[in-house]
Amino acid sequence: MCEWCERYAEGHERWYFNPANYARKLYKIRKEEGPEIQPDPVVAGGMSLLDRGFLEALDRKDHEAVAKMRHDVEQLAWKVHFGQVVTLEDTLKVVDIIYPIALMTCACRRSMLGLPDEENFTCMGMGTGMYKWERWPQTYRGGIQFLAPDEAKDVITKMNKRGLVQTLFTFGTPYIGGICNCDYPDCSAIRTTVDHGIQFLWKGHHIARVDNELCNGCTSCVHRCQFKALSFSATQNKAYIDPFQCFGCGLCATECSQEAISMVERASMPALANVW
Amino acid sequence: MLPTITVDDKKCNDPLACRKCLLICPSHALGLGTKVGPRKFKEIDPDQFMVAGVRYEKCTVCMDCVKVCPKSAIQVSFLTEVKK
Ligand code: SF4
Ligand code: SF4
Repeated sequence: MCEWCERYAEGHERWYFNPANYARKLYKIRKEEGPEIQPDPVVAGGMSLLDRGFLEALDRKDHEAVAKMRHDVEQLAWKVHFGQVVTLEDTLKVVDIIYPIALMTCACRRSMLGLPDEENFTCMGMGTGMYKWERWPQTYRGGIQFLAPDEAKDVITKMNKRGLVQTLFTFGTPYIGGICNCDYPDCSAIRTTVDHGIQFLWKGHHIARVDNELCNGCTSCVHRCQFKALSFSATQNKAYIDPFQCFGCGLCATECSQEAISMVERASMPALANVW
Repeated sequence: MLPTITVDDKKCNDPLACRKCLLICPSHALGLGTKVGPRKFKEIDPDQFMVAGVRYEKCTVCMDCVKVCPKSAIQVSFLTEVKK
C-alpha cells in the first residue's frame, strides 16, 4: 500500500482525497524534528539538495556514499516537499476538494530555462496560503491568477493535452499545496527521480497497460511518456510499456485514439502493489 | 570523471534576461539560481541571479555555452585522468 495513504488517508480512498491534507498548516515543521541537512537557498529550484558531491559519487560508483546521500535527501524531501504522480481524472477530483486554486509560475522551468514569467504559468498553488501570495514576490514572480474550479479543470486538462504530467506536492508533509504540471528534463523532480534514483516523485496509484488487440501501431503515444517507460516494439508494431518503470500519469492513455491503453489500479497487480 | 563548469558571476550580471546559455545547452546541464533565498515583500535583484552547472553528468563538453555567452563568462573543462 502507498505509505502516504496508510498514514494520511484517514478513511478516504487515497491520501490526496482527504480534505484534511489541504487544510493543514503550510511548512509546520518543529525545530527538534527538523531535518539535519538544510536546503541551500543559493541554488533554489530543485538544485538545492543535490550537489556535485552526489554526482561525483555516482560517477566513481561509490555505491555506499550514493546510498547514504540518497537516503538523507529522501528523508528530508518526504518530510518537507515531495510529489506524487496523479492521473488527470484524480487531479480533477482534487480540484473539487480544495479552494482557492491559483495559477502561478514554475520555479523549475525558471531555474532550468530562465523561462520568462509570461510563458511560465504552469504551476498551481492551493489553499488559504494563496491569499498571502503578495508577501513573497520572488516565489510568486509574475503574480498569480485565481481560478474558479471549472477554469482550473480546463487549464489542467489543456496542460495534460500539451503533454505535461500532473503531480501533487507537499509543503510540509502531509499538507498538499501544489498541483504541478511537469515534463522531462526541466522539472527537477522528474529529473532527479528518473536520472538519479532519488524518490522526489512517487509513482501514482495507477499503471498503464496496452491492449495489443486494439493498438494499431500509430505511435502517437510514444512521445507522451516523461518517465522512459514507453517505447515501441518494431517487431510487433505495438506500443510497449515497462510496467515497473511506468509512473501512472496516464498521458499515453489520454492520447490514444484507439483506447488501447487503459489505466489500472496499481494495487490490482500483486508484483506492482508496492512499487512506488 | 565529470566536467568542470565555472561561470564568472561578475561578468554574467543579468542571466535571467540573457539566458542564452540555458537555451543553447543540448543537455540542459546549466541552471539558474539566486545568491539569496526568498524574502518577505522583496523581489530579488537581477544581479543576484547566477548561472551554475547543475547536471554535470549530462555535460558533453561541446562548448556551445562557452561560445554563445556574450560576456565570455563561462569556462568548461574536462581533465582526463592520467593512468599510472
Ligand atoms: S496511440 Fe494507441 S494505437 Fe497508437 S501506438 Fe499508442 S497504444 Fe497503439
Ligand atoms: S507509460 Fe503512460 S502512464 Fe506510464 S508513465 Fe509513461 S505516459 Fe505515464
